[in-house]
Amino acid sequence: MAEKKSATKEKRITIKTTRFDPDKDEKPRLQSYDIPFEDESMVVLDALNHIKNYVDGSLSYRWSCRMGICGSCGMMVNGTPKLTCNAFLRDYWPKPIVVEPLTNFPIIRDLVIDMDDFMHKLKSVKPWIIRKQELPLGAGEHRQMPAQIEEFRQFSQCINCMLCYAACPVYGLDDTFLGPAAIALARRYNLDSRDQGLKQRLPVIAQPEGVWECSFVGECSVVCPKGVDPAKAIQQTKLDTTLRFTLPYGNRD
Amino acid sequence: MPSGWWLRKRHYFLYVVREFTALPMALWLLWLLYEIKSAGAGPAGYQPPRSIAFVVFSVICFAFATYHSGTFLKLAGVIMHVKVFDRPVPSKVIVLTMFGLWALASLVIGAVLIGFAK
Repeated sequence: MAEKKSATKEKRITIKTTRFDPDKDEKPRLQSYDIPFEDESMVVLDALNHIKNYVDGSLSYRWSCRMGICGSCGMMVNGTPKLTCNAFLRDYWPKPIVVEPLTNFPIIRDLVIDMDDFMHKLKSVKPWIIRKQELPLGAGEHRQMPAQIEEFRQFSQCINCMLCYAACPVYGLDDTFLGPAAIALARRYNLDSRDQGLKQRLPVIAQPEGVWECSFVGECSVVCPKGVDPAKAIQQTKLDTTLRFTLPYGNRD
Repeated sequence: MPSGWWLRKRHYFLYVVREFTALPMALWLLWLLYEIKSAGAGPAGYQPPRSIAFVVFSVICFAFATYHSGTFLKLAGVIMHVKVFDRPVPSKVIVLTMFGLWALASLVIGAVLIGFAK
């Protein structure tokens, strides 16, 4: 009888989340929620959705696709930047899980951060294909060989989730730093054989607040959920810009 | 950013250690420059320090230099983008080549110094 009782006993987990209402609170605080851990496939985002749907509807956070593509649900999970749709409760249970907004960004409310700084920086590197002269559509597509795609493929996997900014102590100490994702995306387009915008991006990425601010902590590449290596992009850009500056004819397109 | 951010993760801690190692190495190299200048005045002007404290400091600097050089050379595989016959050279090959060149350079410098000493 006792065995039957324990077998049917509901498995539960404690989620501690940041709560912050700028109209009422002076500073963020943690609030605990004890929720059912219904099945092994539950992720931290499911837990937050459970809290919002059944316990406390005022909890605010961003999310969208729930499949690691949109990059909206990045938060600090037990102090590490993670996509909450990709952080399984089973990896933390039975210990409590602390969910906080991404560090190094201002908090708007609860788990929602202000991403304006990132958006401005992203736009400043012009992460799109730039042509010196646009060809008419009738001229056909810009063809690429598989090897040319491989040059930039990994950098194109970035989903702008900002986990790398939360992991970067350089950005945390000096938010004028352009940051890992913006530089990785700049490199993605600079390596693209269809692109001709290198000289438009160079003034942004080669300035002191660009690649030269990075001291190669490398944590950006560790936390990236898509396997992008922003640290590699930054160091390679350092080498490229140095060679362009020092080699004869190095500044050619 | 709290002042203890670098104690939050092992990776951060190792990064700060890597950066810190440059400081004692710089001090040791300044001393070396001073010694070279002194040696320029002939044997009379050259009096290398023989204290235990300096030997300990030198051993620590050697450990730091090895750690710093090792991390630097490992990163070469990340930074360098080398192609041979239009094919990218794997990072591991670049790193192993770097360590090989490092060992070779150390041997050559060691041989030259021993040669001079004889």
